[in-house]
Amino acid sequence: MTGGDIAAFAQGALVTVTLSLAGILLGLPIGLGLALIQWARVPIVARLVALYVSVLRATPLVTLLLLLFFALPNVGVPIDPYSAAILALVMNTSAFNCEIWRSALMNFPKDQYEAAQSVGMRAEQRFRRIVLPQIVRVSLPGLVNEMSLLIKVTPVLAVVGVVDITRAAVRIGAETYEPLPPFLIAVALYAPLVFALVSLQRWIERRQAAAEAAA
Amino acid sequence: MTISNPVLNVIGVSKSFGDTEVLSDVSFQVDRGETVCILGPSGSGKSTLLRCINWLERPEAGQIYLNGAPVGVSGAGVVMSDRDLSRIRTRIGMVFQHFALWPHLTVLQNLMEAPVQVQKRPKAESRDQALALLSKVGLVEKRDAFPAKLSGGQKQRVGIARALAMRPDLLLFDEPTSALDPELVGEVLVVMRDLAREGMTMVIVTHEMAFAREVATRVLFLDRGRMVETGSPDRFFAKPETERARQFLQRYAGDTAAGKY
Amino acid sequence: MIHGFSIVWSERALLLSGLANTAILSAVAAIASLLLGFALTPALMSRKRAVSRVARALVDGMRCVPFLLFAYIVYYGFPSFGVRLDNWSAGLVALTIYNAAYMAEILRGAWSSMPREPIEAGVAFGFSDVRLFRRIILPPLLLSAGPVIGNQMIQIIKDSAFLTIIALPELTHAASSIQSRYYVPFAAFITAVALYWGLCLVIEAGVNLIGQLAEARR
Repeated sequence: MTGGDIAAFAQGALVTVTLSLAGILLGLPIGLGLALIQWARVPIVARLVALYVSVLRATPLVTLLLLLFFALPNVGVPIDPYSAAILALVMNTSAFNCEIWRSALMNFPKDQYEAAQSVGMRAEQRFRRIVLPQIVRVSLPGLVNEMSLLIKVTPVLAVVGVVDITRAAVRIGAETYEPLPPFLIAVALYAPLVFALVSLQRWIERRQAAAEAAA
Repeated sequence: MTISNPVLNVIGVSKSFGDTEVLSDVSFQVDRGETVCILGPSGSGKSTLLRCINWLERPEAGQIYLNGAPVGVSGAGVVMSDRDLSRIRTRIGMVFQHFALWPHLTVLQNLMEAPVQVQKRPKAESRDQALALLSKVGLVEKRDAFPAKLSGGQKQRVGIARALAMRPDLLLFDEPTSALDPELVGEVLVVMRDLAREGMTMVIVTHEMAFAREVATRVLFLDRGRMVETGSPDRFFAKPETERARQFLQRYAGDTAAGKY
Repeated sequence: MIHGFSIVWSERALLLSGLANTAILSAVAAIASLLLGFALTPALMSRKRAVSRVARALVDGMRCVPFLLFAYIVYYGFPSFGVRLDNWSAGLVALTIYNAAYMAEILRGAWSSMPREPIEAGVAFGFSDVRLFRRIILPPLLLSAGPVIGNQMIQIIKDSAFLTIIALPELTHAASSIQSRYYVPFAAFITAVALYWGLCLVIEAGVNLIGQLAEARR
């Protein structure tokens, strides 16, 4: 492995982490917004959201990515690989996050909400101070799980030319005719990221279980 | 009265869990048609003793014979194969504290499952027998229901019918009413009493003192893994011989008077 | 736009063969990984610490590796060991091994939440070995694990799309090929998305059916 190779991996890692973060940070609030639309039963829009979520959860990321990357320029919207990547990631993860948020909202105890109403809190206050803190707590393990899944699908971005860890590994393998070592290095780069999130999820679950037991 | 061929012969059974000795050299016999109730405080090893009879627990020492046939350890002292053990288990019926019905099968299917699959009896005959048994315990109309939809008392009656479907030589009851709400206990005890009167050989671990007093032909009192006292129920309840038995009965004095069913 | 769809329609044979390949590949991988999972689960729950530790490490490790990378390794990397697989075999092997880890974990969870007494009753009634497993243990286990296994199947279908990178002629590959030949990306890929969605709905219907069967028995 040459110094250039190491640099290539480092740069790829940077791209992977950046794109993942973008996908995660954008996907969280968008997923929440979609869930709220469904929870509030906004006419027509809620149905469309349900359809969108159902389709997106069934669509492989690579298919979605290819669709966006090739079809958008065809209808007059130019797009570069990195924007297509972020768009595909966000669309995908927001659909999964929506289901997680929605489940928390559905299971939210009604009497707490009514108590907030009875003391005269306005809608925005009720949501911000009573509903949101609790659904964040309940959704956290699922959302962190989804983050680890997101990182695991980022290698597909290499398909449209994004120079991430996987692309670096493929290129080095093609150049050296030894594909295995760079792939193993790539695994060694992805695995800790995923493992960190999985450990975080387990830690959150343990803490919440302990808090519940103490209560 | 001695009969030379008891249905059940338990000789010198001992069992430990880790360092704790739970059963210590327990021996007793059960003759055909007897109803033996095993009584004792919690932790005395009653359930463990019962479960050793059909080798759901493996005793560390001792022998068990069902109608002369060894259970668990063959005559030569070799531990039985799973197949041989299974074969002899088909002759011992068991009723569980938490019913243990198979949740994916209807009531009727629960009764037919073992006779058809294990005893290889024809389906039609098993079905007829199952319906007859359900009628006997008063639950024919529930034959197509799944266990989850039954009350506790109904589940246990099905459990008894299921055990009877195997036509066993011996019926074991492991605290059959302990998991039931008080008002459901009676319907199960009635079925058990009728079985006893019909001459079924039964060994029952129970806390139902009034039931034991009325239905048992013999009572075994276990305390801390040892068989402390044994005798006819009338004598045991009226004039216990040992101090431990006396203490135990004092605590349950209220129950004997209550006459729960 | 309509023009695009008419081209896709004229190439429907290719698309449908891609769909069939996706379905077959996913089905075979699902069954194989479930069977492999059944073999792994006892190791996961083994009382011998060495065995359970190794199994746990393998399962956790596999869940930390991106599938696309794993497929690359199986296809490009195995030849380094003298095992040359064509893209079909590599794809199947990768899908199966990868998802076996998930299936093992699913089965372990379902098994540990199953009540023990009905199984003990099976033993007491003389059931043993294969009969005990097939008639007393397996049905409730599959009923309770059904929905989660169904979700994993959907995941397998989506993972199969990754195999387009090793030129396996599944659905996404077919759509790509139509797209690159006729320049109809929207029509081609939207159709593919619709077909994936259809597959997913079929699986969800199956899961619902199992859920109903389980509910009646709950």
